Amino acid sequence: MENARFGDRAGISAGDAACADGRIRRKRLDIGDVVAGQGSMTLHTLLGSCVAVCLRDPVSGVGGMNHILVPSSTTDVCWTTRCGVQAMELLINEVMKLGADRRRLVAKAFGGANVLQGFQSPTVGELNASFVRQFLQDERIPLVAERLGGISAVTVCFYLDSGEVIVRSVDGSRLPAILCKEATYYATGATSRFRIEEPILF
Amino acid sequence: MMGLALREGGFDVVEAENGEEALAKLGSTAVDLIVTDLNMPVMDGIRLIESVRREPALQRTPILMLTTEGSEVKKQQGTAAGATGWITKPFDPDKLMATVAKVLG
Repeated sequence: MENARFGDRAGISAGDAACADGRIRRKRLDIGDVVAGQGSMTLHTLLGSCVAVCLRDPVSGVGGMNHILVPSSTTDVCWTTRCGVQAMELLINEVMKLGADRRRLVAKAFGGANVLQGFQSPTVGELNASFVRQFLQDERIPLVAERLGGISAVTVCFYLDSGEVIVRSVDGSRLPAILCKEATYYATGATSRFRIEEPILF
Repeated sequence: MMGLALREGGFDVVEAENGEEALAKLGSTAVDLIVTDLNMPVMDGIRLIESVRREPALQRTPILMLTTEGSEVKKQQGTAAGATGWITKPFDPDKLMATVAKVLG
């Protein structure tokens, strides 16, 4: 099983779990992460106003997930994986790199709840949900399941071997922590710790 | 996203969904620069570059590879095929435009 990960942090982190042979079978995604893999691997994340898109090629079994904070920054197109366009493009590339056929990809999308109330109108969650639907439509990737919007933060668990996703509403006690994290990331905007490589001319 | 960045930089952009479609468009449209992804359906970026370099009219056209792939092996394949440069995603639009300006001389 191969897997690849982009994001602000790399490697195994708290919330991940590995098999006895060291292969990662359960991976937690944080804001800005993009992870692809196949086989008996589970990707999970916690979403408030953020959205996560699960992509999968049902023939090869390759799939992946991202965790998008905002569609783009408020002032300009955002170029880190916290932002939708970049995160979606990287996710598509990562699953293709592992053998997925772009023409067979199907998507499931979750999150985009109105938990950052008072920030703006439309809310960040609404903007995220709208972005994801539009992006997938433009790229002709079928959105076969979604739970976008609402007022509840959710946990998402994506089983790559079957393509199933289990979504659960989060109890209110976890909401302050989610709000704090998303608001902090939102406030810092494009000042990402993500490393951008220098272009190379041969 | 690439098209957006280039258009904002004042360029006219012709887009294609894969290498085969790009080759067809290159047959009927004169371009100053080619930017291609590596992983594409139908025909990948390396095969596209190889095909482009076989066309006498396109042998000197700069080609930038824009991809999430950053391994040295892939970069060597790109060089061997005839790529002019390599930009790893995610990219900084200012650096992209500086690179484009450089290769267009």
